[in-house]
Amino acid sequence: MSLHDRISSIKEAAAQELRAAKELPSLERAKGQFLGPEGSFTALMKELGTLAKEARPIAGKAINAAKQELESILAEKRSELELRAALPKEPADFSLPGRRRPVGRLHPLTQVTDDIVRAFRKLGFAVADGPEIEDEYHCFDALNTPKDHPARDSQDTFFIDTEGRPLLRTHTSSVQIRVMEKTPPPIRIVVPGRVFRRDNADATHNPTFHQIEGLYVDKGVTVSDLKGTVEAVFKEVLGDDVKLRFRPHYFSYTEPSLEIDFTNSLVKKLGKDWLEIAGCGMVHPKVFETVGYDPEVWSGWAFGFGIERIAMLRYGITDIRLFYENDARFLRQF
Amino acid sequence: MKVTLNWLKQYVDFNWTPEELTERLTLLGLEVEGVHKVAGEFDGVVVAQVITRDKHPNADKLSVCRVADGKGERQIVCGAQNFQAGDKVPLILPGASLPMKPGDKEPFTIKVGKIRGVESHGMMCSHEELGIDPEAIGHRREDGLLLLKADAVVGQPLATYLGRSGSDVVYDLETTPNRPDWNSLIGIAREIAALTGNPLRLPAAGLPSGGKPTAAEQVSVRIGAPDLCPRYTARVVRGVKVGPSPAWLRSALEKVGLRSINNVVDVSNYVMLETGQPLHTFDYNLVGRGASGVPTVVVRRAAEGEKFTTLDGREHTLSAENLLIADEQKGIALAGVMGGRNTEIQDTTVDVLIESAYFTPTQVRRTSKTLGLRTDASYRFERGADVGAADFASRRCAQLILETAGGTLADGVVDAFPSPAESRRIRLRHDRTDALLGIAIPADEQARHLAGLGLVEVSPSSPRGAESEWEIPTWRVDLKREADLIEEVARLFGVDRIPSTTPRGAQGSHPFDAQFDRFMAVRRALSGLGLDEAQGQTLISDASARWVTEDVVALANPLSSDMNVLRPSLLPGLLDTLRHNLTRRNGDVQVYEIGRVFTRVGNQAREGWRVAIAMTGARAPRFWSGADREALCDVFDLKGLVEELIERLGLRGVAYARRPEPTALFVESATVSLGGKLALGQLGQLQPVLGKRLDLRDPVFLAELDLDQLLQRGNSAKSFKALAQFPSIQRDLAMIVDEALTHDAVLAAVKQAKPANLEAVELFDIFRGKHVPSGQKSLAYSFTYRAADRTLKDEEVNAAHAKVVETFRSSLGASIRE
Repeated sequence: MSLHDRISSIKEAAAQELRAAKELPSLERAKGQFLGPEGSFTALMKELGTLAKEARPIAGKAINAAKQELESILAEKRSELELRAALPKEPADFSLPGRRRPVGRLHPLTQVTDDIVRAFRKLGFAVADGPEIEDEYHCFDALNTPKDHPARDSQDTFFIDTEGRPLLRTHTSSVQIRVMEKTPPPIRIVVPGRVFRRDNADATHNPTFHQIEGLYVDKGVTVSDLKGTVEAVFKEVLGDDVKLRFRPHYFSYTEPSLEIDFTNSLVKKLGKDWLEIAGCGMVHPKVFETVGYDPEVWSGWAFGFGIERIAMLRYGITDIRLFYENDARFLRQF
Repeated sequence: MKVTLNWLKQYVDFNWTPEELTERLTLLGLEVEGVHKVAGEFDGVVVAQVITRDKHPNADKLSVCRVADGKGERQIVCGAQNFQAGDKVPLILPGASLPMKPGDKEPFTIKVGKIRGVESHGMMCSHEELGIDPEAIGHRREDGLLLLKADAVVGQPLATYLGRSGSDVVYDLETTPNRPDWNSLIGIAREIAALTGNPLRLPAAGLPSGGKPTAAEQVSVRIGAPDLCPRYTARVVRGVKVGPSPAWLRSALEKVGLRSINNVVDVSNYVMLETGQPLHTFDYNLVGRGASGVPTVVVRRAAEGEKFTTLDGREHTLSAENLLIADEQKGIALAGVMGGRNTEIQDTTVDVLIESAYFTPTQVRRTSKTLGLRTDASYRFERGADVGAADFASRRCAQLILETAGGTLADGVVDAFPSPAESRRIRLRHDRTDALLGIAIPADEQARHLAGLGLVEVSPSSPRGAESEWEIPTWRVDLKREADLIEEVARLFGVDRIPSTTPRGAQGSHPFDAQFDRFMAVRRALSGLGLDEAQGQTLISDASARWVTEDVVALANPLSSDMNVLRPSLLPGLLDTLRHNLTRRNGDVQVYEIGRVFTRVGNQAREGWRVAIAMTGARAPRFWSGADREALCDVFDLKGLVEELIERLGLRGVAYARRPEPTALFVESATVSLGGKLALGQLGQLQPVLGKRLDLRDPVFLAELDLDQLLQRGNSAKSFKALAQFPSIQRDLAMIVDEALTHDAVLAAVKQAKPANLEAVELFDIFRGKHVPSGQKSLAYSFTYRAADRTLKDEEVNAAHAKVVETFRSSLGASIRE
């Protein structure tokens, strides 16, 4: 057999062997058998030296061409087998539940508070706070509460067994006084916080609950401003379809005082025309005098409401105690 | 306060529907809490006249009639036999119901229907069907239809024919405490008058004159405590006949929820509702005579320990705090609260003493409260009665007693009113109204609203000036300054007509503003780490508070023993949350809370913000494969969360020191501090004994940190550090050390060795057991070396690392595992 014939016969054999390989090791074995140092193709190359000088280029070219052909077959086969080797042993069942990394939830009261605060902040309000343990002056006197108002009574308000017998604030309005005492006008604050009333817990009462209130003091503040801001805040919190109604009411620290009712599709669903949602009014001149603001120069409004009530309405929660039980099944719904 | 539509219409004209009235009152500030319609008697029953009567085609005993009902004609099938064409009879129309009889579950409602194939559009009624005793109304007892008198007006409601009351609407109003004048029909009517512009019609209360002897000759009044009773009026009516009230009076009271007692007492209640002025009637002859020989009323403070029995039969022990109406010998009424049993109006009473007085709110409230007696009178006095109304109400009362119980009125009144107060005057700047409300309301319109409410303008001028001055009527105790008048203008103008303007003006600022954001950031971080946020009660039990500290702030007036102190820590509340979840079959809970706590410092309470974490049960949600899928939370899950949070807040140098002994709360725990000095909090594992008591089965891990300190000491400022350009070289090292040696001590030794170019040290294994002697442990650390400006050479790293190894050997007594 001529060299040329041997080249093509070995090449055929090698190509067949390579193509037949079923997995990577047998491919590598086939490679060694032909192209390795001891391989039959390598032996052919070594024979090249024994040829006549003028025959070498032709034979060399033929060998190289065959070798290149084999190497490309090898590369192709290798990538094919590598791909096969990479396939998972068993197919993944993508309907199986994944390994969860749970994200914890913010308490619904936090979420609602945050939404309300955001609505106020859009309008230029800063968040303010004050102590929960208050004195009678800030909780009642400075807010023009009559001396014998029932709220001052130990029947309705918690008192603390320490010096001076302070009390737990019954509303966030005490913060109005604390802020105005320390800060000259103008004032624009929103106050979220815990308040306390001496009520036994039931579906609509908890001795601890949350209020939020806004206070705006400036020159030339009017009832119109009050209505405009209240509407802006409640649109943000309760949705664009909310309608508000203001009607006269009585609070000792505002004059005029108004109560705010709202309605939207939810209220209608509850079979009601209006639901009471908040109280508000123009800061009583006596309150201004108490904190040293001149009521002839400054006017302002305050408005406040219960956070639980908003959360209960928003989510359809029917028992206020759920907020304080922290049942995981409850918390994870929000 | 309950009022009825028909009663209101006695004082003012308005043509609103019952629903419109609700809306109008609400927008005036008078919240309508309930509305219910009172059906009149015999609603839907009219006087009808039989025109023709024919035999029913299909039934012998029935007849088919044509009947006039006042509006037209109806065909009625009837089974009665006692009537003929031309008779007037009661006809009940379809849709109306017969009165209920004993044993009826629901009323029988008349419908249009066929009787034996003939349509019947209503029913003619017998006296039994209507529940009427015919003889009592002057009619013949018939076997069959009730036959009405020939002069009955066809189409008239039967109730009108019989003189019974018609339908009405009862409104239950919530009156605000600043408006005592709203606790009267006239007060409500006055609001409607102001709103409509229609006049208010007060009852004339005209009295006959000439009754001798005069009131002054028959009763004397002495006010011993004018500070508590500025005014006391007395009238005398003699020769009354106490008996049942007439129907109109009984029905008026019953509709608003009062029980009829007798004509004299009912009149005093009626006038109280009408005018807002509580009245009391005494049996004149039971009031003791004084030195002057006539019954003498003495208004005085009770003596300490004085006993007094009120109308309801209860005996009270009084003090000087209580104001008593007395005669010269004994108390006869608790002023403004309740009358005495000893002078009560009885069936045998013939002479009546009418009291109409003003008692000061504070005194009445105190007496009512200390004695536990709340009455319609005390309710009105404690909110502030109308001192100006005393005589008017007394006259009205006398008038109605004469009308309903007969008798003779003694001429005149004894009116002890030693020092009437000057009427109050308030100025109103009309532009101030506009400035406060945000809308221009013409001065004349402002004045019209105030005048409509009964305020009287002092020296009005035309054209009106920039301001006006108003005399405040005695019933408006709430009007004290200009802002109050502006509110009145706003109410009557209509708050709904004041436009809303878009928010404008100053930018607010407050130190808490930034803190609120940081609280939210902490919440987001912890929720992001997989914890749910909890909110616990501020009020907890003393017992649970003492798990954490003895410095507890107690309530002076707790509601119950499980809510008698302010929480000194968030942990008791979180434990309660775990327990709550566990009893509801959820044993895997990981929660946190941010909240205020209260600790006692000396005799003061101190508030502070905390953040706390509680976890128990499975570490991760259930999964279906993996070796550690059953793993429970351990203390390093907790510490990992704390570390993550602390890193987020930018705190450095936080140290965790194991407490050598268990505490009341923890079986094993560590304090958290900044550099071992500034306390930040604690973390650890709950005492299993305590856990068991709370039904917690799995180990519970708790951490609590002082959030004020964390935020104050933290530094959230961030600055960019260039990314490493050159490769690092890593060296691992394992060593066997004493069990007591801490990770912190190892890090301290590394620091002491000061190896050059050390970038990081990381613990990657702790091993006890095979090949490690007992009482010792194997620790494996990985050291990363890197220079910022070049690629490190092996020799450099080896030299640096050798220093570490040497220090470990010498300072830690470690044996290095090669």
